[in-house]
Amino acid sequence: MRRTLWTTLNWTLLLFLPLPLAVVAAVSISPSRFISFPPTGFSLVWYQQFFASPQWMTALGISTGIAIAASLISTTAAVMAALGLERARASTRGIMETLILAPLIFPHAAIGVAIFGFLASTYYLRGTYWGVCLAHVLLCVPFAYRPVAAAFHKLDRSLAEAAMNMGARPTMILQRITLPMVAPGIVSALLFTFIVSFDEITVTLFLTAPGITTLPLTIYSRLEQNADPVVAAVSTLLVLLTLGLVLLLQQTIGLELFVNTEGDDTARSKS
Amino acid sequence: MIAPSGLSASPLARLLLVTPKALLVAIFLFAIGTVVVGSVRDNDGNFSLALYDELVRSNTIQILTWRTVKVAGLTTLICALIGYPIAAFIANARRRNLLLVLVISPWLTSVIVRTFGWIVILGNRGLLNNLLRSLGITDGPVRILFTPTGTILGLVHVLAPFMIISILATLVRLDRRLAEAGMSLGAGPFETFLRVTFPLSLPGVLSGCSIVYLLASGAIVTPILLGGLRDAMLGTQIFQEIFALYNFHRASALAMVLLVTSLVVVIPIQWLDGRLRKLSGA
Repeated sequence: MRRTLWTTLNWTLLLFLPLPLAVVAAVSISPSRFISFPPTGFSLVWYQQFFASPQWMTALGISTGIAIAASLISTTAAVMAALGLERARASTRGIMETLILAPLIFPHAAIGVAIFGFLASTYYLRGTYWGVCLAHVLLCVPFAYRPVAAAFHKLDRSLAEAAMNMGARPTMILQRITLPMVAPGIVSALLFTFIVSFDEITVTLFLTAPGITTLPLTIYSRLEQNADPVVAAVSTLLVLLTLGLVLLLQQTIGLELFVNTEGDDTARSKS
Repeated sequence: MIAPSGLSASPLARLLLVTPKALLVAIFLFAIGTVVVGSVRDNDGNFSLALYDELVRSNTIQILTWRTVKVAGLTTLICALIGYPIAAFIANARRRNLLLVLVISPWLTSVIVRTFGWIVILGNRGLLNNLLRSLGITDGPVRILFTPTGTILGLVHVLAPFMIISILATLVRLDRRLAEAGMSLGAGPFETFLRVTFPLSLPGVLSGCSIVYLLASGAIVTPILLGGLRDAMLGTQIFQEIFALYNFHRASALAMVLLVTSLVVVIPIQWLDGRLRKLSGA
């Protein structure tokens, strides 16, 4: 009896997490012109409108572009830093890692003002997508470094030594041993930073300027006015995209990755 | 001696490898510096502590700060209360992977999408009010949207996964033999939990609390869309100062208040967390 109660309680709490997402999906297939729940019928008209709208398509393209750039730049920098720091003294590395992870202990609103002020003081970056991209790279720095450093940390020195004793050159060791072993760390860094950038809204909100838009910013401005069901359709697509990625990860690297390798540190990524 | 990666880079090469990351960190810290400097300038760019003087005297800013601390604190508390049982449930579940999907997918979905979901649920003609009306519990709409309750509900939903994952990370690493030892020494399940499992999982709870508090106190989107502008928090006020009032210096000063108040809470928690982790050898 107590066991059933415990299980029921936890399932209720657990289902509280996807609940709003399910509600959004239900709204998106309703033909009603207003946001309404429960849906009054079934229609994909809002999805059609989304794909037919140049404004939404531009926002989608820009968000995708920025996210790809931010994830590639921050992950590359992370791999380079991990390679550069692997033989550093423990104290040097400690200081560097604290600095790299520093963005995690600042509240987002403060980071927003900071980057707003910084970009405003530069001539070339103010009010441009380069500025937004730089902001996203700065936010991605810790999330790229965490999984990459964890993967490097797990490397076994004796493997490289054995390869060297058998006559492998450093580039060959890098190619055949090191890279394959750190690949899961790199992949999760790429994926994670992509999501961080693609979903980023709080800091990006400070960088809004005429002609600057991202997908989350467009959703935000629609919500501020009067949300139309197209917003529900976009949101549902984002939910499905995320769900797809998560299921893909579950099948390949395994979701334990989030819990085991860095757990609480990875957890700081979002919002 | 060979490096674990097999790369035998010279000290100069290693320095070059670290440069891009170091540059990014430097830009970030420089940007934070502009806030500090901006907060001690007046609108003509001269040094002035007028803003801090105002901060100390101003009633509104004290109310703002206090409300931010309260909302973030309550959010953290509720997240811990619902996060712990969920984490414990997942840690002991057979289908852990399926349950993880339920936590991780919402977690990785954009804040703006999840906030939108709550607008649909909490609105005057939303799911909740329709339900309450059709059950005959209320006549008029219950106002949750645009109240602090709305903000807290939204923030709890957005941030609970951070807490769950953080606690789960310590629970799965826990040595099961310790709990078994407790049981075999005659402790009941409840006592075992209270005296063995819970103290050992405390680091996870603490780091979860510090993340959730930090993100809740610095949130803007969820408080604006679910709480409205009337009961502003520091984050939303900072945003208003810049985009409605065009006052970067005041925004900077408020950002300093936000920074200091959240660090005052978060740094001791993280310190305690680090100490406990060292003690338990994790």
